Amino acid sequence: MRIVVDLNRCQGYAQCVFLAHEVFRLSGEETLTYDPNPDDARRLQVERAAAACPVQAILIDRLEGAQPRSVTS
Amino acid sequence: MVQETPWQQALRNANRANPYPFYEEMRKTPVSRQPDGTYVVSTYRELVELLHDPRVSSDTRKRPGAIPGVDPFEATIITEDPSEHDVDRRRIMRHFGPPERPDMITDMEPEIRLIFTELLDGMKSKTRVDVVDEFAFPGPVTVICKVLGVPLESIPLFHDWIETALDGLDLGPEASDPEQQRRLAAVSARVAEMRQFLADLFDQYRKQPGPGMLSGMGNDDGPEGRLPGGSLVSNAMLMLFAGHETTVNLIAHSVLSLLRHPDQLEKLRRRPELIVPGIEELLRFESSVQFWHTRSALEDIEIAGTTIPAGSTIFVCYGSANRDPLRFAHPDKLDLERPDNQHVGFSQGIHYCFGAPLARLEVQIAVSEFFRRVQNPRLVEDPPPYRHNQIFRGPRHVLVDIDGIRD
Repeated sequence: MRIVVDLNRCQGYAQCVFLAHEVFRLSGEETLTYDPNPDDARRLQVERAAAACPVQAILIDRLEGAQPRSVTS
Repeated sequence: MVQETPWQQALRNANRANPYPFYEEMRKTPVSRQPDGTYVVSTYRELVELLHDPRVSSDTRKRPGAIPGVDPFEATIITEDPSEHDVDRRRIMRHFGPPERPDMITDMEPEIRLIFTELLDGMKSKTRVDVVDEFAFPGPVTVICKVLGVPLESIPLFHDWIETALDGLDLGPEASDPEQQRRLAAVSARVAEMRQFLADLFDQYRKQPGPGMLSGMGNDDGPEGRLPGGSLVSNAMLMLFAGHETTVNLIAHSVLSLLRHPDQLEKLRRRPELIVPGIEELLRFESSVQFWHTRSALEDIEIAGTTIPAGSTIFVCYGSANRDPLRFAHPDKLDLERPDNQHVGFSQGIHYCFGAPLARLEVQIAVSEFFRRVQNPRLVEDPPPYRHNQIFRGPRHVLVDIDGIRD
């Protein structure tokens, strides 16, 4: 699967790290690094992380060529 | 008789079940000065702006004329400003989440599931249940005891202290009523008992370390050191209290809201995965912390045509901002699939709810399991009776008639 985090929106709340720390990592206080192509086996974790993001910065499968897909569809 | 402001009316006990018409009235003036000089922020945009404004302090000790030692949550992460706040929050987070313990909460899932399963099993022969006393309260209180390392036998003890303290706090026009004054008088003794209980527990864990966060916090030799003694106890009290009360109210309100919106409940039954975004919507819809009262202006702040003078107390009203039609389309409609749901039910900024990941997990499990297993739940009284407290708003009981419990 493919994900994008809008780093202009991200404020380092780390809610995604609680739910999928293999995919999302905070380095230092507020800088998020993440795996843009996590294994499909982690889809549920990543979807939970996207729903929990307080600023809704995690976008799933919305890259060019991909069909828009919401967390719940 | 002087006419009360919409805020004063919202705080009246009689309006606890439905403060929303008063909030709607309040939002006509996004930041409004109250007769006592407090400023109330009721709109989403202004509330979020102030949550991120460094001129707004959360530290009650910085208010003009502040008397130290009155606020039970003084010198905790919820009433500290940077950099004190940041250091203390990291000192506590080391025992709860990433980076040191990224799996602690998710690893608790089976244990949490079992707790709620057993509570539902206990309803098997019943035709009427109280969702608060039999489900929404015992679940989270058991979970927080396990997280912190507080003995389960002490639940009745501290539950009574907390109830008394919650009933004693009134920030509205009824605060001066003789009955409320009597309730207030009981608060400080209960808070003192709670502090002593936790201080004793820390002593015990210092002699013999055990499972849970309190033992870890009390014995910590991490890079930033241990929390100082008084602050250790205050923060423990904050976590024990806030770590379940808010979850109790969210579970009770979620059951209530879904029973009031059969279309949404039906949708959830067909697509159980909707509980994940659904919990965010349920928290937007009925926010467990309706407002917070410890912020104040360090300088004059101009916002939305109002100047908040330096030193003024600022109430941020999450319950109202979460129903602001300028931010949320059809805000009074419950929509489990609401897009772009940046609610402020867990606040925003540096004081974003510390326990949010635990709360989400608990409420997702509790609400899913309740509606999966309880057969034909029907509300007995609507609205149900509400507890007195205005900040931690929630039903005292939610009576539901049921046909049985599925396995």
